[in-house]
Amino acid sequence: MSSDGENDDFFFEDEYDDASDQGEMMEDIDSTSEPDVYDALSPALEEAPQRKPYDVTWKVKTLQEIIDMQNKEITKIQSVLEVPASSAAILLRHYVWNSEKLQEQFWNDPAFALNEAGLSPPSSPSTRTIPLPQSPSRRSNRSIRSGPSSPIRRTRSVVTSGPFECPICCMEFDQQAINKHTYSMGCGHRFCRDCWTEYLSGKIKSEGESAKIQCMESGCGRIVREEVIDELVEKDISKRYHNLLNAAFVADSPNLRWCPHPNCEFIIECSQAPSRMLNQIVPTVGCKCGHDLCFGCGYAASHRPVLCKIVKLWEKKCADDSETSNWLQANTKECTKCQSTIEKNGGCNHMTCKKCKWEFCWVCMGPWTEHGTAWYQCNRFDEKSGIDARDNQAKSRASLERYLHYFNRWANHELSAKLDAEFYQKTEKKMEQMQNSGNLSWIEVQFAKQAVDAVIKARTTLKWSYCMAFYLKRNNMTELFEDNQRDLERAVENLGYLLEQNISDTESISKLRQDITNQAAYVQKRHDILMDDTLKGYLERRWEFTVDI
Amino acid sequence: MSDARLRRVQKEIKDCAKDKTSNISIDMIDESPFHLIGAFPGPPDTPYEGGYYEVDIIIPDAYPFQPVKMKFITKVYHPNISSASGAICLDILKDAWSPVLTLKSTLISLQSLLCEPVPNDPQDAEVAKHYLADRESFNATAKHWAQAYAQAPAHKKKSDTGKVATDAEMAGLSEENVVGFTDMGFTREQVITILKKLNYRGNNVNPQSYNAVLEELLK
Repeated sequence: MSSDGENDDFFFEDEYDDASDQGEMMEDIDSTSEPDVYDALSPALEEAPQRKPYDVTWKVKTLQEIIDMQNKEITKIQSVLEVPASSAAILLRHYVWNSEKLQEQFWNDPAFALNEAGLSPPSSPSTRTIPLPQSPSRRSNRSIRSGPSSPIRRTRSVVTSGPFECPICCMEFDQQAINKHTYSMGCGHRFCRDCWTEYLSGKIKSEGESAKIQCMESGCGRIVREEVIDELVEKDISKRYHNLLNAAFVADSPNLRWCPHPNCEFIIECSQAPSRMLNQIVPTVGCKCGHDLCFGCGYAASHRPVLCKIVKLWEKKCADDSETSNWLQANTKECTKCQSTIEKNGGCNHMTCKKCKWEFCWVCMGPWTEHGTAWYQCNRFDEKSGIDARDNQAKSRASLERYLHYFNRWANHELSAKLDAEFYQKTEKKMEQMQNSGNLSWIEVQFAKQAVDAVIKARTTLKWSYCMAFYLKRNNMTELFEDNQRDLERAVENLGYLLEQNISDTESISKLRQDITNQAAYVQKRHDILMDDTLKGYLERRWEFTVDI
Repeated sequence: MSDARLRRVQKEIKDCAKDKTSNISIDMIDESPFHLIGAFPGPPDTPYEGGYYEVDIIIPDAYPFQPVKMKFITKVYHPNISSASGAICLDILKDAWSPVLTLKSTLISLQSLLCEPVPNDPQDAEVAKHYLADRESFNATAKHWAQAYAQAPAHKKKSDTGKVATDAEMAGLSEENVVGFTDMGFTREQVITILKKLNYRGNNVNPQSYNAVLEELLK
């Protein structure tokens, strides 16, 4: 490394990790030392996957690991601050798991920190010491303690010797029943257990609350502890409560995100995609469930090469506009001469524009004069004049057309993606057929599946490339982008065509196999070039958008 | 828990009937104890003084773990109460609800809401703007509403003696300003709607907003 100082610097700037440094260095010394050319081409040409400057590293965590992470943090705080585990948990949740801030606040003013987090005992003088000695057997201690002699402010809660009436359900409990059927937290507000259960269940089940469930007394900010909730509510609700706590933990941590796929319980941990970086990187990550997702925005698939923010804009635009646009597209056409928008509400295909009196065919959009006697039925769809007329129309519809152009292509690929399963099935069948009729081994026909993989991957990228193109400003860079896009689109089309071919005899199989393998490799290469160029473009700030990012 | 709900509501109604000092009443509309009418007098030393305010009360199934649903039946001119629907913006009717709160304590809270409007968190933005722009004129309008809708006696203030408030007064607008625009040929109704919307009162009566009103009227 040290022998070639110049290249060293270059690699460090680009944040390549050491392993790939070595490999590339070797080649680099062999070839001419032109970093720019090398940089642009090499990663796309190389087969072995390696970390690109725009990639992020991530870990897939199980729910148990997330629970362990919390417990570790809780144990740490518990020993540092010398508070019971449940208090440590409440403190940490209040300070959004920022243990530095918590410790700073706590040592500054323990009473204030505890109070803020909802751990205030009723009488202030003993604030600091109360949570300390009671840790494991806290609940039972309190139940005994907070009998008639406990410091209770509310006169209506407990009258020293008389029966206790629950202020919520108005049931009366005599002295013997108080400990068994009623409960109060450290704040001293006593209610019957049934009301507690009802209250807590409602908070958890219908309101989805977890970490911030407070005492039932109006204005009392005391947080109900985990073990209290576990004891007072049914098992399934307690389970839900813990799920909600975990969900809140994940939601509060910028480095964690749930896998958004249905029934997947994995959590992704990634520290390289903070929100401020999202205008430069597209942090696509893969979950163990086999699906991709975007760590930046939680989109349930890869939306590379498009930035999260653009995806959001696009989705909103599609939701807002596409219905109207679709209606316009489905029900109207434009006069091929004067571009007035026309809704055909009946009659034959022989259209006469009301405005400019131009006569044309509604089906092929070509001039009516060429139709001769083919009334009501147009078989001239591919005539040049018709195509020209349609093209002219497409060019004229300014912004709507522009949007629809990108939207349709985007939607088209989206639709193809929905047929993925079918595509796989068809290929599977074909592979069997090849094994039977062409005497090929199982391994020898895998090329077809790999080709389908390549097509599907490329289609996803193509889909998003249309969203990207819609928001790009027109300039030379955009033209390069569209060239790459076009090349990939073409390659995918060709490969798709090859995959649809029927197999007739052994000889054609081997030729087809060769073609498909070649074409699939080409698709893969075009795909990587498009992806690489686009994602690097963000880091190099090459792309200019029509919207602010 | 439904018997607990019934027990609690019945006890609340009974307790409220027993309590003669608070001046708050809770009555059933029909057989159901879960749809009630609450009522209380307007608090003294406010524009609502002397008025009598009725509140529609619906007890939800999960009461008292869910807040009661309340809205004013009597029309009230107040930043936190919709002048059209009577809907109330008050924290204890939403997230700050606690099961220990009762119908009576909630009605008392409504009463004190009448004393202390929170114009920064308004339910009725037009009324809130009026409140912030010109307090005196707001008080006058609130008083007109109390007299017109809440049976507040009209003789308390000398200027109002025996006179029925005009539509301009009900909207808190000066007659002079309204006439200024109706003379141009716009309908009175239209002028009042737009002056209310643009808060054409107090310091807001200036050439700039005058033009804004005209623009709005000509739309």
